[in-house]
Amino acid sequence: MAVALDNSTVRRLLRIPPAYYVFVLLLLVLWIARPHMLNLNVLGIFVRQVAPLGILVIGQLLVMRVKSIDLSGGGVILLINYCISSGTFPGASMGFFVVLALAIGIGVGLFNGLMVGKRRVSAVIVTLAVSIILVGFVQYLSSGKPPGDVPSMFTDIYNTKLGPLPTPVLFWVALSFAMWLFLSRTVFGRFVASVGENAQAAHFSGVPVERTVVLAHVLAGLFAGIAALVQTASIAVGSVRVGLDLPILAVAATILGGVVFGRGEGGVWGPFFGVLSFALLFVVMTAFGIGESGKLVAQGLIILLAAIFYGLRSQRH
Amino acid sequence: MTILVEMSNIAKSFGGTAALKGVSLALAGGSVHALMGENGAGKSTLMKILAGVHQPDGGTISRDGRAVSFGNPADALDAGISTVFQELSLLPNLSIAENMFLGREPTTRLGRVDYARMNEEARRALAELGLSLDPGTLVSELSIAERQFVEIAHGIKADASVFILDEPTAALNAADVEILNRHIRRLKGEGKAVVYISHRMDEIFAICDTVTVLKDGALVGTRPLSEMTPATLIAMMVGRELAALFPPRGAEAGEEVLALSGLRVTERSKPLSLSLRRGEIVALAGLEGQGQQKILRALVGQYAPVAGQATVKGKPFALPASAASGVRAMQARGVGFVPEDRKEDGLFLGLSIAHNISAALYSMRSELSIAGSYQRLIADVMQRLQVKAAGPGAPAGTLSGGNQQKVLLGRYLAAEMDVLLIEEPTRGVDIGAKAEIYRLLREFADRGGAILVLSRETVELIGLCDRILVVHGDTIVAEMPAAAATEHNILDAALSA
Repeated sequence: MAVALDNSTVRRLLRIPPAYYVFVLLLLVLWIARPHMLNLNVLGIFVRQVAPLGILVIGQLLVMRVKSIDLSGGGVILLINYCISSGTFPGASMGFFVVLALAIGIGVGLFNGLMVGKRRVSAVIVTLAVSIILVGFVQYLSSGKPPGDVPSMFTDIYNTKLGPLPTPVLFWVALSFAMWLFLSRTVFGRFVASVGENAQAAHFSGVPVERTVVLAHVLAGLFAGIAALVQTASIAVGSVRVGLDLPILAVAATILGGVVFGRGEGGVWGPFFGVLSFALLFVVMTAFGIGESGKLVAQGLIILLAAIFYGLRSQRH
Repeated sequence: MTILVEMSNIAKSFGGTAALKGVSLALAGGSVHALMGENGAGKSTLMKILAGVHQPDGGTISRDGRAVSFGNPADALDAGISTVFQELSLLPNLSIAENMFLGREPTTRLGRVDYARMNEEARRALAELGLSLDPGTLVSELSIAERQFVEIAHGIKADASVFILDEPTAALNAADVEILNRHIRRLKGEGKAVVYISHRMDEIFAICDTVTVLKDGALVGTRPLSEMTPATLIAMMVGRELAALFPPRGAEAGEEVLALSGLRVTERSKPLSLSLRRGEIVALAGLEGQGQQKILRALVGQYAPVAGQATVKGKPFALPASAASGVRAMQARGVGFVPEDRKEDGLFLGLSIAHNISAALYSMRSELSIAGSYQRLIADVMQRLQVKAAGPGAPAGTLSGGNQQKVLLGRYLAAEMDVLLIEEPTRGVDIGAKAEIYRLLREFADRGGAILVLSRETVELIGLCDRILVVHGDTIVAEMPAAAATEHNILDAALSA
């Protein structure tokens, strides 16, 4: 009896996405070791840093719920960053860049979606190949040299605040909320759950499976485009390296948030806290004076943890 | 007749539930012994004890009069008891011969695996079953039926005198079943004992000599089959007569809701037509694999016929339909397709009952519309279907087979379909749940719906339906009212076409 009770408690605890545990743990570490770091101004700066990652994760969780994956975000971010900072479009307005970024994102997402959904090509290979092509394309355009300055209007918006909260963070929260509403309130959300659970059964119950997968990829591309705008605004000078580690971090944050391939118990907020955990991790590392190399090791460990958690969960089903 | 194996007073519990309560079974040489009972009656547990997979909590097993106990499957095999379980246990990435000799590969003097001898012996074992497969073929390249035969050859190859066949024909078509039966008769002629587990009455009566019936883990009785009829056997299994399973037939049919004309299933087959009217349940019957499934699936784009036209409620459209959107398009016209494999193709086992029931309702709407929760409708459907579950939030995978099938049917009741196309309405469902499903389908027809159904169990089609269309050679060869149909005249109509 005691064993059975224990088992069901363990199972219930395992249902909670690990992102929440990691978040609380890091918060506790900070609270005990560096309580003075726990103020909105300090945390705001660190959370603002992960806003592009957070926005990318919104798209990632969507494709992962239909058992796909999108690793092309790195290439998309790099290309958009190059378009804005290289001076290829001199004197272009803010609106032009926004439309351009969204169009690039949607275009890449549509290509990924058609390949994965209609042609049934492996999602990892397609999106990784697309990313490599885009990176190569940018390197060809820039001949390996850093492009130039990001127009100041981007950085100006990036630095605004609403009360104590940085605008990019609020923007990320608002987008997450929109995705949560979209998934929980629309028929599309039900289609996503059906396709993720069993694509064959979804097909036989009348769900347009291909269309659902294509649409999920288009939305993931759109979010990659938005993430690219925020990422570009966060740096004053363009770069040929920016954003390349974001896709794998996005996958890790999503798994950490309890959204594993086809299963979506973590919803939108699990992965959201996955990203927040990354932010807190940077705060803790900085507070303890650990440098870039240590942060890389810690990031790797978190990705590993996410993978182990994913394995643990699959065995239980 | 010598008794080869005697199991007496076998008891076995898993956790708190008793799977077997003092069951006795004696297997005689030169006889085929049927083991019958509803799902969960304890047949498989009893056989797994005999095969050494489980150890009994009580009771004794004797082999040729001497008491024995099997600690593991190898012990049972050493005692000459060979088992073919219903789950396929072949390794797909090894060849047929490698699978058959797994763990006991012959070696050459240099200690290397003697492939030549292995392939030769495997070829001989397969030939005995009438199979001309190359032993070097990878198992992954075989059809399900071929795999089943390899599994059987594997079991029979071992030099045993007691054979346990647990639903060996589940994946076989009629011709393959006949080959298997021939082999079973040969074993019987050699004085071996065979235990045969199957849900299919015709097979039991065709091949077996004795039947033992289990119910809820207890022994109901053992009888010679020559004293039994299918009706008395079913009565023994469920404690009531077969006729009581089926609801009365419909009064009279209304207007036509679905028609097929000029449907040519293959290049060679003759065109067929059929018409389905409100209030009727119509069967596609005949020998297995003669095209019943192709006709049904052609309607929803899951099989591409050569040509044809379907008419739904007066609106015609050409076949073949699109494979990607055929199911969806038909659903929009009020025609629901209930696939045979409810676990793979039908249900979302990890999602709630509510999600499973509302799936077709959502499918009929556009992606961007707001999803209602349909709480009341779902509760209503669950009540009408008498689904036994903790609540609408319980995952479908936690339900029993019968309740899963009801949830699947509930999806189409909730979506208020006019026509249901059903493959195997009661596959893997126990007899109590079968009766409930028959009642539900009849209610659906009485409310003005129409059903086109196919099933491997002809008895079920005769009892459930109003009209029977006999399918043979990918076309319809005869039609008869179900009230006048018997298994015999359906077979007769099919074979004399």
